[in-house]
Amino acid sequence: MIVCVAVVGHQNNPLYIQSFTEADDALKLHHIVHCSLDVIDERVNNPKKSGPTLNETFLGLLYPTENYKVYGYLTNTKVKFIVVTTDLDVRDADVRNFFRKFHVAYVDAVSNPFHVPGKKITSRTFAERVSTIVKSFGLSSAG
Amino acid sequence: MEEYPEELRTPPVSLVSLVGCPELHAAISKHLHSEQPPINTLALPDFSKVSLFSRTPKGDDPSPAHVVPGILKRDWLLKHRTRVPSVLAALFSSDQLSGDPAQWLQVCSLLDQIKAVLRSRNIKFLLVVVVPHGDDIGEDRMLALRKRAELDSKYVVILKPDEPSELKQSLSRLGSALAELANTYYRDEGKRVKLRIEKKTSSSSSIELHIRYCFKVAVYAEFRRDWAEALRFYEDAYHTLREMVGTSKRLPAIQRLVEIKTVAEQLHFKISTLLLHGGKVGEAVTWFRQHNGSYRRLVGTPEAVFLHWEWMSRQFLVFGELLDKSSAAITNISSLALGTADKPLSEWESRPAYYYQLAAHYLKEKRACLELALSMSETGNEMDNGAESVVPSAYVGQFARLLEQGDEFAMQSLTDEEYIRFAVVEGKRFQDSYEIIALLKKSYESYSNLKVQRMGSFCGFQIGKEYYMAGEFNNAKQLFDDIASLYRREGWVTLLWEVLGYLRECARKYGTVKELIEYSLEMAALPVSSGTDTQMKYRENGPAGPASLARREEIHKDVFGLVIGESGLSSVERNDDLKITLDNPLHLEIDLVSPLRLVLLASVAFHEQKIKPSAPTLITLSLLSQLPLTVEIDRLEVQFNQSNCNFIIMNAQRPPLAATADDKQGHRVETSSSLTLSTNKWLRLTYDVKSDQSGKLECTSVIAKMGPYFTICCRAESPASMEDLPLFKFEDRVETSPTKDPALAFTGQKATQIEEPDPQVDLNLGASGPALVGERFIVPVTVSSVGHAVYSGELKINLVDVRGGSLFSPRETEAYSLDSHHVELVGISVPEGKDETQLDTDEINKIQKSFGLFSVPFLKCGESWSCKLEIKWHRPKPVMLYVSLGYSPYSFESTAQKVNVHKSLQIEGKTAIVISHRFLLPFRQDPLLLSRIKAVADSDLPASLPRNETCILLVSAKNSAEVPLKLLGMTLQEDNEDTGRPCSVRHEGEDLLEPALLVPGEEFKKVFTVISEDDSSKLTIGTACVTWTRDSGSKAASVLTKQTLPDVNVESPPLVVSLDCPPYAILGDPFTYLVKIRNQTQLLQELQACTTCLRRPTDAQIYRDSSKILSWVSTLNCCIYYIHISLEASLQGG
Repeated sequence: MIVCVAVVGHQNNPLYIQSFTEADDALKLHHIVHCSLDVIDERVNNPKKSGPTLNETFLGLLYPTENYKVYGYLTNTKVKFIVVTTDLDVRDADVRNFFRKFHVAYVDAVSNPFHVPGKKITSRTFAERVSTIVKSFGLSSAG
Repeated sequence: MEEYPEELRTPPVSLVSLVGCPELHAAISKHLHSEQPPINTLALPDFSKVSLFSRTPKGDDPSPAHVVPGILKRDWLLKHRTRVPSVLAALFSSDQLSGDPAQWLQVCSLLDQIKAVLRSRNIKFLLVVVVPHGDDIGEDRMLALRKRAELDSKYVVILKPDEPSELKQSLSRLGSALAELANTYYRDEGKRVKLRIEKKTSSSSSIELHIRYCFKVAVYAEFRRDWAEALRFYEDAYHTLREMVGTSKRLPAIQRLVEIKTVAEQLHFKISTLLLHGGKVGEAVTWFRQHNGSYRRLVGTPEAVFLHWEWMSRQFLVFGELLDKSSAAITNISSLALGTADKPLSEWESRPAYYYQLAAHYLKEKRACLELALSMSETGNEMDNGAESVVPSAYVGQFARLLEQGDEFAMQSLTDEEYIRFAVVEGKRFQDSYEIIALLKKSYESYSNLKVQRMGSFCGFQIGKEYYMAGEFNNAKQLFDDIASLYRREGWVTLLWEVLGYLRECARKYGTVKELIEYSLEMAALPVSSGTDTQMKYRENGPAGPASLARREEIHKDVFGLVIGESGLSSVERNDDLKITLDNPLHLEIDLVSPLRLVLLASVAFHEQKIKPSAPTLITLSLLSQLPLTVEIDRLEVQFNQSNCNFIIMNAQRPPLAATADDKQGHRVETSSSLTLSTNKWLRLTYDVKSDQSGKLECTSVIAKMGPYFTICCRAESPASMEDLPLFKFEDRVETSPTKDPALAFTGQKATQIEEPDPQVDLNLGASGPALVGERFIVPVTVSSVGHAVYSGELKINLVDVRGGSLFSPRETEAYSLDSHHVELVGISVPEGKDETQLDTDEINKIQKSFGLFSVPFLKCGESWSCKLEIKWHRPKPVMLYVSLGYSPYSFESTAQKVNVHKSLQIEGKTAIVISHRFLLPFRQDPLLLSRIKAVADSDLPASLPRNETCILLVSAKNSAEVPLKLLGMTLQEDNEDTGRPCSVRHEGEDLLEPALLVPGEEFKKVFTVISEDDSSKLTIGTACVTWTRDSGSKAASVLTKQTLPDVNVESPPLVVSLDCPPYAILGDPFTYLVKIRNQTQLLQELQACTTCLRRPTDAQIYRDSSKILSWVSTLNCCIYYIHISLEASLQGG
């Protein structure tokens, strides 16, 4: 199950962060998302390790914590998407698929003429879409 | 890792034993220990101790029916590393062997005993015969010995301790023999146990034994340094052990799990060590992950959960330490290919910091669970007594109660409840907080070294929390401050909120009211209300409380209650110093980088960028606050760099505060109807300002006073260059500009330029005409006041080349100017008799070649003053003369404002006198100069002069200026006075009696006669000096113009012809024309002369006696011809 998704801007500032847990660990999830930015930085700055995936937007598993797995995605405008899941067995393909849908939703949200680039995304439609995508991720991986 | 027994942490080393000849033991042990691989030695003092090795009689292999009480025996490994040797080396000296039969018999019996003991344990045997120097041992005796000992010849080593070279050789022989035997022993033992494994597996024996045997085989393999086999059997043991979970019924449930986990921990440690030792970091990490995965869920019964977390924490810590140790050897972890395709490993998993962090995390879990367990157990003291006698039992991971029965000790197994009590008591002994902090610190430092700041910050945050809970607020505050700056920079508001909450509490606990207010204000102004994750519920939220608008408002009220003095903070624990009073006022500074810019932002814009002095201009002051509630300001003080412009704005709705009226005396006080700051709304105030002082007028700060003793000083910012508000720049909100006028918001500056007052003093440069080279050209300068008095006036004079570049050329070397300025300022003269005495001594009067500084005396309004600049040209050159007058119109004070007047003038420099010269020969006398015959005739200067003949030098000076000049004199000077002139120069007639007037273009000529007297071929004539002055009414100084005349050649003419004839002839009357030819050579010269008529060649006949004269002129004789010519017409003879 996805417990947290985040969009992080150029200055590593959160543009959108939403947790989907019943438990009260949102702050912890924020910390996890923030820490995972270090991994993204490292991946982006040392691209030789990910040699074949040079132009790949999907950054893969960033960082395992005791209970979560963190995956990252970097758009070509250098906006970072981060997702935290509690599933221990996640197929990369599922995560890729999730990010693709998420990216589309993001593009739609920032294409809004009233949205100022670099500012937080406050669109309610975007929030609803994301929550749908997050739910569908849970379903597809279960099925 | 340190809590593991030594024998487990270090790789096993073979153990051999020595007996007999104790004096040699030290040398042998030392040698063996330095072998590669090393061998440990167990030295026995005498043969009787060999019996220690004999196997203690006990029941043979436990029968299948027998229940195995544990998995691994606690002391088995230690026994094999320190007490049971693989080889026994018996040392006999040669005299023991070759002595009398009684001794030999003794040796034989000793051998038998040893063999009997060793056989029971399969310990290998080796004989060392010590042969002293010069001694020898018989061949047959050796053979007998070997037979008796049943040993191969290579296991009987002869040691000669007295010969160093021999000793070394035999020691190394002994070493290799021992190593070989030890290897054989461990292999045999391993094989023996392996056989048992195979036998057991077929006969479904106890699983514990299987694990134990696997462990043993692996240890034996390690003794042999067969790492691959060791690893295989450890893994086998580990996997078998995992299967035990849930199947074994041997012990009470909790203790059973504890035992399994402890054994698993040991096996895992061995496996990880071996993997890392082999450089397989990736495999080790994968292995750890499996280990973690298979045991993480084995939490056990609820009352023993803390044991599980403790165990987990230890797993992470130990693995981290192992990685730390091995990562020194592995240069670049990130370059290793980690993991497999389907299960990739992230690079973080190979960094120890990750494991320390998780170790700390699990330790925290443990602490929480332990506290729970402690709170549940009510009868704390009672159980302490019971726990005292609990000790580790003979098996790894088991505990038992030690019962004293007389002299005997007996182990009594524990029930789970007893065990838990024991564990709780044990757990209480440890200070988990410090352990957690230590772990996190390790992680924090490691991350900092890697420049991984966010993870480091997270660790720092956790450390800070621990410190906070431990009551070490100072430590906590330092960490939190660091972290807060990162979160501020990256705009992680929720995280920042949390950290600030802690900081605020630290400040409160510490009693620093300033920080408390700063943190509170920052929290209150954070943009948390509009966050997307607002429904966040904080279970473990810190003192910050939930990040919400309501909470912000609460903090806001708290802090303003405090600053206005209505309340002390309610929850002050330590003391009630946290009040702002008259004795304890509070002043906050907000600069351009302060996080408190959110709280108050002051933007100041002048409406004009340039103003005249004393002219009023408008200034707009805009204040913005992000505090959640409106704030009422009592008084605003606007400060400028020119302090007399400062003014105060009072809030009309507040009663004037008594203290404020008099403390800023002399400052303008304005009153505003309302000074209320609403959230995110600019408070705009426009006032006029005027300054009399020219220069920059800048608004430096705005001080807001709220309540009697609380002020915030906010640095003024220009709207044009204002940074976005931190944090709020990421918020999706309406941007408003600080001023209503959008243009001003874009271009407005907090500073304006105040111009100088217009000068009311005239500066005149009265120069006339071009300057002449050489003269001191006078430029009169007049300063006349037409409105301002001139205080401390100062005249600056600058000479600048019109064409740019400097006024001197270092390449041209001129004799007369050492520093070769072409134009220089020679002096400044003040009209005599006027103000000369008034000049103070300290007045500036500096003159340099192209720069001058001159003081102007005080001038009253309407007065004038003048001076003269003297400028001298050395070259004809146009220059620009800049004169500027700086003065202060009102006072002598040095700080007084200066007004400047500038004037410039271009002055042409011209050459006044051009000197030229030419040589003439004496009248009707013509020396024959040989060089001249060849030379080109067109040059009118003779290339050479005849020696000892009189020549005429004509020097002319031409006025090339545009003004008439008066020539005062002309002389020819010798260049070098001391050597004397090699010729005589005479001027015919007197020098000028009165100056000659030369109009422009006119020439003045003077004739000199030159007679060369020297034998040298060169003649230096000297320098022509012309003294002149301008023909002006006033008496100007005379100017000397010099020009060096070029040298001329001198040669002796062979013939000199002189002509003599009357000045005129009378028609028809013959006259005599005398031609005198002087031969100056030593030889006879042939002459040929003819006369021709210049004017009329047809009248050749006029010459009555024209003939060809051919004669010889003898040396130094003159030949004189008289030619009688009668002229019919008016003719001139040639």
